[in-house]
Amino acid sequence: MIEGSLFPYFVVAMILLSIGLLGVISRKNIFVIYMSIELMLSAINLIFVTLSNHYHSMSSQIIAMMVIAVAAAEAAVFLSLIVVLYKRRKSLDSDIFVALSQKESL
Amino acid sequence: MLDIVFFLLAFFAIAGAIGMILFHQPVHSALSLILTIIALAGLFALLSASFLFMVQIIVYAGAIITLLIFIIMFLNVKESNLPKEPHKYPAMVVGFVCLIPFNILVLRAFYKMPSSQNIPLETDFGSIKTLGWELFNQWLLPFELISILLLVALIGAVVFGRKDEV
Repeated sequence: MIEGSLFPYFVVAMILLSIGLLGVISRKNIFVIYMSIELMLSAINLIFVTLSNHYHSMSSQIIAMMVIAVAAAEAAVFLSLIVVLYKRRKSLDSDIFVALSQKESL
Repeated sequence: MLDIVFFLLAFFAIAGAIGMILFHQPVHSALSLILTIIALAGLFALLSASFLFMVQIIVYAGAIITLLIFIIMFLNVKESNLPKEPHKYPAMVVGFVCLIPFNILVLRAFYKMPSSQNIPLETDFGSIKTLGWELFNQWLLPFELISILLLVALIGAVVFGRKDEV
């Protein structure tokens, strides 16, 4: 078992990950879904940084930095996709995103 | 002292996250997420990851969330454009119940983890120098791949933002 001083960090990360998952499955607002995905990425980051402190290794912090870079790339694509779909449909409902899987619906 | 700081930061992180999934307006959710992100940055600082603390504040709170708030205000969403969410709270309760076994599994995994060596951290652990040394010695290829990923995301955003029909 890991020592007691680091265990609360894991619990916080676990709670944040669960809240993010709850947001993805219970909300329909596409912005809130995006923010929930960001929250889950941040929770995983917290686990990586805690493990870096636990194992005295810098590699986990580098992985956490790369997760931040992936989140930035995701933000660019996701938000431009939201802008395009909002301009065409005037709605933030995530159900309009089924348009991406159908050829003629736009 | 550090325990009090930890509990305050953990409280703000979790409260911000709960507020984020409960608020109806996206702007309120985004401001709530900023609270969570900054509290997480504080947790990184407590874990002696000083460079990631700065990266979290500059890149996450400063760039990603600001871009998100900019897009929300740019779209000028009216109340009538927001989706109706009649099943929001029942879905949250059902999801909460379904997540309990998953969380128990995760807690068991944490308990099974091997304990670490009980030597104190080096003084420059987590500083920009040690992180850069590790990054450019052992993680050079993933670093370059990340830059290619960012380039591809940039091109993808430009393609989506074109005026003509895609």
